[in-house]
Amino acid sequence: MKTIKEINEKIKKGEAVVVTAEEMIKIVEEEGVKKAADYVDVVTTGTFGAMCSSGVFINFGHSDPPIKMLKIYLNNVEAYGGLAAVDAYIGAAQPNEDPDIDIDYGGAHVIEDLVRGKEVELYAEGYTTDCYPRKDVNVKITLDDVNQAIMVNPRNCYQTYPAATNSRDEKIYTYMGILLPEYNNVHYSGAGQLNPLQNDYNPETKSFNTIGIGTKIFLGGGIGYIIGEGTQHNPPFGTLMVKGDLKQMDARFIRAATMPRYGSTLYIGLGIPIPILNEKIAERCAIKDEDIEVPIYDYGTPRRDKPLIAKTNYKVLRSGKITLNVNIDGKDVEKTVKTGSVSSYKMAREVAETLKQWILDGKFLLTERVGKLGRAENKPMKSPITLVKDILSKPPITAPSNITIMEAAKILIKHNINHLPIVDEFGKLIGIITSWDIAKALAQNKKTIEEIMTRNVITAHEDEPADHVARKMSKYNISGIPVVDDYKRVVGVVTSEDISRLFGGKK
Amino acid sequence: MRKRIYYWTDSKHINKPVISDTILNTGVKINILKAKVEPQEAFLILELFGSKETIEKALNYLSKFGEVEEISKVIKRDLEKCVHCGCCITQCPINAIYMDEDYSVIFKEEECVGCKNCVKACPFKAIEIIE
Repeated sequence: MKTIKEINEKIKKGEAVVVTAEEMIKIVEEEGVKKAADYVDVVTTGTFGAMCSSGVFINFGHSDPPIKMLKIYLNNVEAYGGLAAVDAYIGAAQPNEDPDIDIDYGGAHVIEDLVRGKEVELYAEGYTTDCYPRKDVNVKITLDDVNQAIMVNPRNCYQTYPAATNSRDEKIYTYMGILLPEYNNVHYSGAGQLNPLQNDYNPETKSFNTIGIGTKIFLGGGIGYIIGEGTQHNPPFGTLMVKGDLKQMDARFIRAATMPRYGSTLYIGLGIPIPILNEKIAERCAIKDEDIEVPIYDYGTPRRDKPLIAKTNYKVLRSGKITLNVNIDGKDVEKTVKTGSVSSYKMAREVAETLKQWILDGKFLLTERVGKLGRAENKPMKSPITLVKDILSKPPITAPSNITIMEAAKILIKHNINHLPIVDEFGKLIGIITSWDIAKALAQNKKTIEEIMTRNVITAHEDEPADHVARKMSKYNISGIPVVDDYKRVVGVVTSEDISRLFGGKK
Repeated sequence: MRKRIYYWTDSKHINKPVISDTILNTGVKINILKAKVEPQEAFLILELFGSKETIEKALNYLSKFGEVEEISKVIKRDLEKCVHCGCCITQCPINAIYMDEDYSVIFKEEECVGCKNCVKACPFKAIEIIE
């Protein structure tokens, strides 16, 4: 049994034994928990990944004449200004106001540029008052020019993050990177055996051994502190809220990124020292990648609750490939696909190594937490949902492919519709005819339905959210989508009129 | 052996089946990696397979109808920008990108065919394809 005070005395004298969580695995394996707990004083951990829930409070100092800034832009990225006159919060995921730049240069990029000492253009507007007569201000600033730049991140350092794959027959662009069609890759995130929360976790009590409010940490290359549990904190998917001084940070550990067609985000290096006070703590610090379960979810399902495809662990994920049992087009198949990481294990190692060096050099002393992390809570929003089946006009009007074009035209007129799904004898969708196709048939003197129908039909499922169908129609620039059941049988058609009725309020 | 080249066909030869003729006349195997044919000029990225002699013959033949430039390196990565995350690994259709034992992302540059999938996937814009 040791105390943090005793460990700090050893650090000051340069006598502390400090190892990384990776090194601890080997020590415990070779020497046993008891001996490891005896002679190791501190285990350093680290993680380096995309942390969208990050941002910086900036106080710009007052201009003369002074302004009460309300609408605030840094390099054309909006910062939240609903605070006192010259305070603002710039969030990492905020896109650029210029639609051509958009997510390619967002809040995260402003933050990285500030850390790099680059000049950033501040433009702000406000309403005038007796004490703040100025209407707007436009000035170039650097990190040195501002009074404070305090990074405060509501949710960082996920203990474990679920991995992602994609059941759809098209590529999808997500915050987990680009997911290939038909489960053709699995992307994962997290430092696993190096992750700070993982190494400090007590699974029996679902609480943390030493980490808590007030714990001093490595944040972005500078010194930071844990403020408390992060948003959506829910061990074993624990999170942290942290703060740090941007002026101390190093651009090596604060890196702006853009997830293609998703958004801008900030990659942050975060490391926490764990004091080895007893055997229990030492034992947990020897946790290995293979001991950490990681669920794989299907991101192809655009719903809050995504289908669980498999459970695996970080060791398998880091091996570069994984075998999945999946269902493609109604067939169960075994598929071995490539895995790719979204976070950087190499940089996580560098964080743990740097923190270790700081402690060995006597530059970083450990703190006693002033309180435990708060309660866990991660429940869904009570938002209403409209499914395709809620807006479906029934029964479906369909036709076989052996009718004439004249007959098809008559069906469209009779039912006052523009889309006619063509089905086989079992009611299964084989194509679609629109009023445009009929016009085309006339113009080009085409004779049969087969000649003019579209065979590659974009379809919707009746249990799909209407929002998703609206996105599909806009993406493919179409005005109607046949709705099919699990057997590809047509159960209706959703048209752009149905979608606009949703927004028009006439339900 | 294998050789990758850029090839610009002269406008006067644009309507000739230059690639097929090269294959038939020299016995070289050609994989067309990219082709952009316009009324004035055609630009192709070709991968030639065969013995050293055959490839030389093919290059001589191709030179009669256009300009040949050998590709030394297709893919370029800015190591200052790369954080070795791995977002690009699964996007590579020919497995030319992998993570080594030290968790560094490695590019087998000599195998790259210039498809640009990794360029589009990189969150740090650290990858460039030289054209």
